[in-house]
Amino acid sequence: MQNDMKYEWNLAFRIDHWVRFLSIVMLVFTGFYIHWPFMSGGPGSFLMAWMRFFHFVCAYTLILGLVVRIYLAFNSRFSSDWKDFSITKNLAGVPDILGYYIFVKGSHKDYGRYNPLQALAYLAMAFMVIFVSLTGAALYKGSLFGFINAAGSFGWVSRMLGGESYVRIWHIFSMWIFIIFIIVHAYMSVLISASNKDKTLTSIFTGYKLKKSA
Amino acid sequence: MEENDGITGQFLDAVEFRGVSRRDFLKYCGATAALLGLSELYVPKIAAAIEKASKRPPVVWLNFASDSGCTEALIKATYPGPADLVLDVLSIDYNETIMAAAGKQVDEILANSRKEGGYILVVEGGIPTKKGHGMIGGKEMLDVLKENAGPAVAILAVGSCATSGGVPAASPNPSQIIGVNEALKKLGISKSVVNLDLCPVNVEYLTAVIVNYLLLGKLPELDSYGRPLMFYSQTIHDNCERRAHFDAGRFVETFGSKEESLGYCLYKMGCKGPMTYSACPKVKYNSRISWCIGAGGPCIGCAEPGWTDKFAGFYNRLPGVKIPGLGGVEATADKIGAAAAVVTAAGIAVHAIGSAASGRIGGKDGGEK
Repeated sequence: MQNDMKYEWNLAFRIDHWVRFLSIVMLVFTGFYIHWPFMSGGPGSFLMAWMRFFHFVCAYTLILGLVVRIYLAFNSRFSSDWKDFSITKNLAGVPDILGYYIFVKGSHKDYGRYNPLQALAYLAMAFMVIFVSLTGAALYKGSLFGFINAAGSFGWVSRMLGGESYVRIWHIFSMWIFIIFIIVHAYMSVLISASNKDKTLTSIFTGYKLKKSA
Repeated sequence: MEENDGITGQFLDAVEFRGVSRRDFLKYCGATAALLGLSELYVPKIAAAIEKASKRPPVVWLNFASDSGCTEALIKATYPGPADLVLDVLSIDYNETIMAAAGKQVDEILANSRKEGGYILVVEGGIPTKKGHGMIGGKEMLDVLKENAGPAVAILAVGSCATSGGVPAASPNPSQIIGVNEALKKLGISKSVVNLDLCPVNVEYLTAVIVNYLLLGKLPELDSYGRPLMFYSQTIHDNCERRAHFDAGRFVETFGSKEESLGYCLYKMGCKGPMTYSACPKVKYNSRISWCIGAGGPCIGCAEPGWTDKFAGFYNRLPGVKIPGLGGVEATADKIGAAAAVVTAAGIAVHAIGSAASGRIGGKDGGEK
């Protein structure tokens, strides 16, 4: 059986994936609370303070998760895949894969690890992490990473977006983009697993994917 | 000697107020004369020179498009304290709202001040740029500003009308009102302006900036919006007396509730304290008696430029977002996001049905060829 399997994701990729997933889930949850506190704290509690604390911890985690992913893309001995994210190359492949997804075509080319839409979506999400971090930093009043004065260094974001209330609105919109991404991403993994029957879905847990029967 | 020592009673009052007696002061002048090798006949001259050097610079206070709330705040500074000290010693040469003179006299006073120059120009109110929308004595406000900005040694824009237009410049801003800084840029006058945002200005901020100028001869350090960092470097939220309730997660849900009487945090009532930079919680208003949040009202963010538009509605957490293509229909960022997520989920459901119907799920072939 092992012979039919292909080692798709090594441990570093899998850990990085799940760390980013968990931090996003925590960020969404705590972010909802910070935006609109839906529970009130009892006596002696520091509910909002804890929510904010975890929000910031998870924000650092997400940023570092992206840094690790970028490092892996360029330096992983297992698979340095930065070339897979070429914008021009992927844009050229969009009609083929999109045609398949909207039922215009019955099949699509074999693209290896990421199909063009997938690669572009992941690249866009990397930029979303940067955008959400910038807007977050502009809202943060403390000292980023312990030595960057957030208000001073990221005031330009606030001025560019028209003030802190608009920074907040953009921050919330970004969160919704993450939520929508996760919904679509989970659906696509289930769908591809079911149609290709190659254990795509479980590969992000086990690391192994079925080789193509051809 | 007392009658002709050249020192005015007013100046001696001011000196004595600071704990220096008339005798001490004259002794000091005499000692200075001796040191310089001059006869005692020079003592009155030295005293006069010191008096002249210590003379406070005149203030010209211009009123443009505003409700005169800042003038109101100025004249309500009645308690003894540093505020009064400065205001008593400062000579406010010109202030249309509170001056006794009228008519031609007023123009003469202002013309005199301009001739002498060296005054501190305090501007209250925004400047209408649409012709005929704001005039004083037949002159456009923009021209009045142009005339008087030149000879000034320092320009202070007090209140949010003067800094960024404030309430009169709120959308749709029919008179196209702008702040002093923008107006000076438009007029091609390059002079730095100290912006004292707040509606109305806190007189203690104003007097502190003037004292700073008198003592050090320069204006305080400013932030990117031209506001003195000494007052506008921290958010209201970070110094708020209700901050403990915020951290604990205790919020007022409706006005008139038990939570409100307990002094809980006003975050959910639309308080803009987290986005507003001002020392209000420390300096407070009306001689430190109270301030907005202390009186139970959420901060509406009047220390931020453009607050009338970007913080409306004042009791909402965030302003609404105009949905493009729907002609001014507004929704909260949350509703837009949730709607997009629902649309996505619906799209997925349709796609899943399509995939099953076309045999992609459970079929023999994969998609890849």
